[in-house]
Amino acid sequence: MIAATFVPEYTASIFLPALYVGLITGFIALFGISIQKNDLDVLILTDIIGLSMLVIVSAVGTDLAEALILPGLVVELAEIMAISELLLTREMRKLEKDGPLLPNTFKLDMEILNTAPNFIAIILVLYGVFLTGFTGGAIAGAGILFYAISKKSKGLNINIFDGIAGISGIAWTLWIIGFLTFFIVPQYWLLSLLLAAFGILIKVALKMGLIGIMNREEIKKE
Amino acid sequence: MDIAALSGEIFGFIPLGDIMLYITPFSLFMFAGALIFTFLIAISKTETQVEAEFGSLEDNRISIDLKEFKIRRFLAIICGLATSGAMITGDLFNFTLFVTLIGILNIGIVSAVKIIDVLDSAFQYGLIAMISSMPLFSGAALILGATGTLSILNLAQIQPNPMVYFGSALILIGLLGESGVAPFYATKAEMFRTPGSPFILIIHLSSLLIITRAIEILLIINTF
Repeated sequence: MIAATFVPEYTASIFLPALYVGLITGFIALFGISIQKNDLDVLILTDIIGLSMLVIVSAVGTDLAEALILPGLVVELAEIMAISELLLTREMRKLEKDGPLLPNTFKLDMEILNTAPNFIAIILVLYGVFLTGFTGGAIAGAGILFYAISKKSKGLNINIFDGIAGISGIAWTLWIIGFLTFFIVPQYWLLSLLLAAFGILIKVALKMGLIGIMNREEIKKE
Repeated sequence: MDIAALSGEIFGFIPLGDIMLYITPFSLFMFAGALIFTFLIAISKTETQVEAEFGSLEDNRISIDLKEFKIRRFLAIICGLATSGAMITGDLFNFTLFVTLIGILNIGIVSAVKIIDVLDSAFQYGLIAMISSMPLFSGAALILGATGTLSILNLAQIQPNPMVYFGSALILIGLLGESGVAPFYATKAEMFRTPGSPFILIIHLSSLLIITRAIEILLIINTF
């Protein structure tokens, strides 16, 4: 096999077992789908087949395979989102009413709901800042989003995020400046790298935060 | 197989980093055909379905409103562009990505309709498309694992081994499900009953072109 020259011996040795694991997972999921009658359960089981696809793609183990996992994952997500939207539309059409598609806010009086969200959000934001770059931005944004959602689910108002959205433009400028510096004066590569990394960190984090705000306003409208 | 023997003399190459696009009369014709059809769709209006009512002389007209028309036209244009991309691409994995994109867009085109039967069949087709994206990507990954490349130009010069045959078989299964041809046609047939003709036609055209191109690619990979 040619792959043995591109990847370590160990990775090449687990190629076939991983392939079998992927195929068996796929067959188990297909069997599950064949005996299920509920549409929602079928949709959830279909996601397992997507996971088996990821297993087989990652079994190859080269850099290129790593680059292929991301589009595979995105395609899986897009498909499951499209199909679940379709399912929602169909059920709404069957009921012949246009109710809110998002789940309603629920009220639970538990101590852990007051304390845990802040802590988890802080950990996520700090870890995101530590990582920097696109991944860090996504994690920090997830932290902000998590905070907003958990506050919202208790029915509290959150006003702090509306002002932060304005910083997004500045972060974008930072990123562009960093990018330009990289091409015009390559000897300051460290400066431009940091500019770009922190710019995109703030940018992505704010984007994720904004999604939370929009989500909240959608709920408020209804 | 030699590419020139199958799809005609190679006019030229478009190098994009690792991905090398090659232009043959075959791919150029299908690329241009898909683009022209997309343009025709972009400037056309939808039909209005007229059904005779039972027991009276009235007609029942089913037309679609402007918002639905805009969504559907947008998705149909993207679907046409994805089809033309799949026609010209020189990379096996890009081809599979374009195919799955077409599958998602086919669901999207019919998802805005208000007929429950159509939504039902679109849901079934969506499940099949999602399941068949697994053999599609796995096949491409197996070919990558067996040969170390995904470029069709390089694959044409490599002696195929059993793993390549297995990967190609998986890709074929995935394509059949994703484009909704022969064994999976039952899921897709009901989808064509939606009003809004020119946008529905892109579903047909994309499956047709995809299958033609897939046969070319599989022949290139599997014969030496």
